Formats: sequence, structure tokens, C-alpha cells
Amino acid sequence: MASLLKVATSTLRSTLWQTRSVATTTPQLIKEIQEKQENNVRTYEGVNIESERSEKLLKSACQTTFCPECTLGLDIKHTDVLILSQYVRSDGCMLPRRITGLCYRQQKKMGTLVTMAQKAGLMPNLGPSWSKKDPKQRYGWKKFNKYFLESTIKY
Amino acid sequence: MSIAKRVQQWATFARTWHIYDCTWQNPFESAALVKTHLMGLHKPIYHPMNDCGDHVVLINTKEIALPGDEWIKRVYFHHTGYPGGASWTLAWQLHEKDPTMVMKKAVYNSMHGNLQRRHTMQRLHLFSGDSVPDEILQNVTNQIRTPRTVPQRLDHIDKETLENFPTIMDYPKDYILR
Repeated sequence: MASLLKVATSTLRSTLWQTRSVATTTPQLIKEIQEKQENNVRTYEGVNIESERSEKLLKSACQTTFCPECTLGLDIKHTDVLILSQYVRSDGCMLPRRITGLCYRQQKKMGTLVTMAQKAGLMPNLGPSWSKKDPKQRYGWKKFNKYFLESTIKY
Repeated sequence: MSIAKRVQQWATFARTWHIYDCTWQNPFESAALVKTHLMGLHKPIYHPMNDCGDHVVLINTKEIALPGDEWIKRVYFHHTGYPGGASWTLAWQLHEKDPTMVMKKAVYNSMHGNLQRRHTMQRLHLFSGDSVPDEILQNVTNQIRTPRTVPQRLDHIDKETLENFPTIMDYPKDYILR
């Protein structure tokens, strides 16, 4: 019965919700598809292209766990948007620990700092498409300037 | 009295005009600073009976910042005197009605309630924006240093700084950017 249900739902899903990626701008890519023709054999290959970040990357950042606070001893505030924005996707979501490479405690702390910066309206361009880009247009008390104290972070 | 001594006397007892930019400043931290200048507490000749306070011009009072959720936690109480005449106004509602009022009340409440307080408050000039009448601005000779730095928005940082800022991680090979 369960398998029958699974087959039914999967066929329904494949017919109704066809996943199609739609982008209005050229997406940034990590891999590039290359096409080769050799003696009646056409090969398609996904090749890693060099990252834009590779030149600006800090040397020690390539190690497995790199935290700005643990490794460099930096005291990061919620107003340091140039650092915090690197841990955020274009829609304002925090990147997972698999990608950020932070230790458990720092990942929690960075998430809180990102939230603080977003609430203070310091990263209005990194947010979902429906978000109000101008912090002054927010509803009620949220339109006024606010700052946060890093001492309130529990981690 | 020599000319030099006479000028020193004038300079000592003259009222100085200070300007203070309230952009992204906590009104209650600022009030302590503004109060010392208003009352003349920063002067060596200060005495409660000595009228030596200065003028302070507060600009951009609509741009003040409160920590965390204090905009909805801080409440201003008023009572008309009639039964049932009590009212409680949240800080953000008061700020919406009059953008200078939160700052004015902060300075007023930071001082002791004596007969001098109302006269000291007369020397405080509040402006919600950055436009100050010329006859006030031409008196100003000093700017009070603000305790908080104004945070910079990510979309206001110039492109060159954004591009040259070092990155602290690279995406893994199997990651899909978005």
C-alpha cells in the first residue's frame, strides 16, 4: 500500500510540479559545462572554474575551521557588515556550517549578529524579493533606528 | 585690570554655543553629555549659584537610535489631573508625533528637579533635521564628540571597498550559488 502511494505521489509530482530554474540574470557558477568533439565522440564535462574569491581569500581561511574570532582574535560587532555579508545568501539567509566552516559556537554567534544587522537595517540589499529595501519604510516602531548590544548574545 | 586679564574674564564668563549631532545616538547616553555642557559642569568655575551654563544645539533628533526593542518597551506617562486621565505613550509613538520630544525629555529628566532646571532647558535648542536657522548656527563654536559611531549600511559602501575587502571563506566545489 505504501509503495503504491509513493508511486502515485511521485507520478503526480512529476506531472504537476516540473522543476524549472528561471533566472532573470546570469547566475554565478562554480562549474562550467565544456563541450568536446573527438572522432565521432562528443563529451560534455563539468569543469570547476576559478572562484572570483580566490585572489581576495585570506591564506588561513582555506583551513577546515576558520573563525574570525577563534583564529584571528577579531571582536566582530553587528555593524561589521562587510564581514557578516559574506556569511549570508543573496536572500538574507544564513549559510549552513558545512559551507561557512565556522565552529559550532561561532556559527550560532554569527547567525545572531546577522539577525542584529538585518534588524538594524544595515544590510537592506541582502533580503528576500518581497522585503522593503528601505529600512525607513518599515511598519510601526521598526522604521526607527535601533542598535544592539553584543553582550546580549548568549553564546 | 590689564587688557589680557579683561579678555580672559570675558572668555571665562561668555556663553559658548555647542552643536551635537544626534544621528544614531542613544538619547539617554547623550543626555548625560549634553547636561554637563548645558549646566556648565565642565567648567572649573562651576558652582550651583554661578550662572555659567552654555547653549547646546541638538540636530537630527529624528535620527536617534534606541537599543534592542526599547522603542516598544519605554513608556511615557501623562496624567491630565482628571479621573481616568492617565495615558501611557510608547517611545516610538511619541517620536512619531514629535521627533524632538524623546531627546528633550531625556535631557530634562537627566537633571535634578530644582528651580534652575526650566531656565537651563531654555538654553537647549532642538531640531529634528539638519537645517538650523542661520542666527543660531553663526554662534556655534564647538562640536560635542558623539559616543557612538554611525554604522555604515552595506548598500552605501562604495564598490571599490566592497571588491577589495578580503574574503574569509570560499564556497565548496559542489555548492550552488544563489
